[in-house]
Amino acid sequence: MNSHAPDFDHDPGQEPPDADVLAGEYVLGVHDAAQRRRLQARIDAEPEFSQRVQAWEMRFAALIDEIAPSPVPPQLWPRVRTQLGWSPVEGARGGIWQSVSFWRGATALAVAAAVAAIFIGRLPRAPEPAPPPPRVVVQPPPVAPVETEIAKPVTTLAHDDGSPGWLASLDAANGRVTMVPVPARADAQGRVPELWLIPEGGAPRSLGLVSIDKAHSVTVPQALRAALKAGSTLAITLEPPGGAPKGIPTGPIIAKGSLQTI
Amino acid sequence: MSGSEQAQRSEHRAEIAHLLAEVASGSRDAFERLYQRTSSKLFGVCLRLMPDRAEAEDVLQEVYVGIWHKAGQFDPARASPITWLAMIARNKAIDRLRAMPAASTQAPVEMAERAADPSASPLHDAEASNDSARLHWCMEQLDDRRRSLIRTAFFDGATYEELAARVGSPLGTVKSWIRRGLLQLRACLET
Repeated sequence: MNSHAPDFDHDPGQEPPDADVLAGEYVLGVHDAAQRRRLQARIDAEPEFSQRVQAWEMRFAALIDEIAPSPVPPQLWPRVRTQLGWSPVEGARGGIWQSVSFWRGATALAVAAAVAAIFIGRLPRAPEPAPPPPRVVVQPPPVAPVETEIAKPVTTLAHDDGSPGWLASLDAANGRVTMVPVPARADAQGRVPELWLIPEGGAPRSLGLVSIDKAHSVTVPQALRAALKAGSTLAITLEPPGGAPKGIPTGPIIAKGSLQTI
Repeated sequence: MSGSEQAQRSEHRAEIAHLLAEVASGSRDAFERLYQRTSSKLFGVCLRLMPDRAEAEDVLQEVYVGIWHKAGQFDPARASPITWLAMIARNKAIDRLRAMPAASTQAPVEMAERAADPSASPLHDAEASNDSARLHWCMEQLDDRRRSLIRTAFFDGATYEELAARVGSPLGTVKSWIRRGLLQLRACLET
């Protein structure tokens, strides 16, 4: 270090940088978590500092152009909507959402869930008709007779007091779980429900966030499909918006049920 | 770049800025259109920084939730809309990287210019061709060490400590290279 020093009046590596260099470093992203938080607070509090940051962002803008766009997985958009507290899909628009065969399929599913609910006999009120499952985009859904749908395993995810929170309808062949919530209030602390599949004797594996007021389907990753069988448990925990940060549940279990074959 | 390409770009910019204004006033339709127009670009940014796809997807989700809430902060007089959005994505990704255990972040040494060839990826979202050319020219004026460190920090989201470990130089030296590089870049861009 000292070998460089004689060339300069001072060494910028050794003393606190001025505000503009700090802003440049922030945009570059070289700081640790604590320092980033301090600078973010400064951006919020000091318009002058915030302008310095924006000026550096514009200076580096051309580097962003070197990053190629990449196709976004289709389930991301419903996830964004769900986190905003909206229904996972917008039902009022054209295209597939208005296709007759689509609605026939979706309705069959909703009826199946409702019939299953009555069969189980613990559901205080029927769930709303299922809106289109978010993952079904390309293929028209199978127009299956209702009897076939009922034959699928249906699991109640019950709260501690025994009241049902969600109905999970399993389509093991296609690796899909349709979650029908009993409409409930959102968590006061802003946490969101996350669904976990727990193989017998195994660790919980996340199946993603679920809605508290709309039915939707969840695709089970290929590696976990073998666990969609009797003996495994489905559980729902409350997690920070965006889901459990490291794929490990952090919040309380609010509903659970073990998988059984009907 | 041809004149018509440039016209297309400025039209694209105007459209994104317009959508942001509508999102700021609460339009979910505009938000969906904004998502359709910009999410693949922002996903590219997230993928570049995050070690795996699942993390990149989580970040992208957070980014759009953030955009819904703060679209009103976008000031067309001070920033281009794509840059503004991309920087939100970068910042979220870097915050997420900082919250992860150090071992799980990527660690290849990028002293060779891994992503150095801008002609390799089309500059579809270029702010303006001369801004881009100017930054590249100014980057070229930096000595190799400073340029590589700045590029690695920008594209990999590496901290000072990680950069020092990667190049095997003392922390103070690495800080000094980057800070001098930043000062030199600023001076070059302002001339």
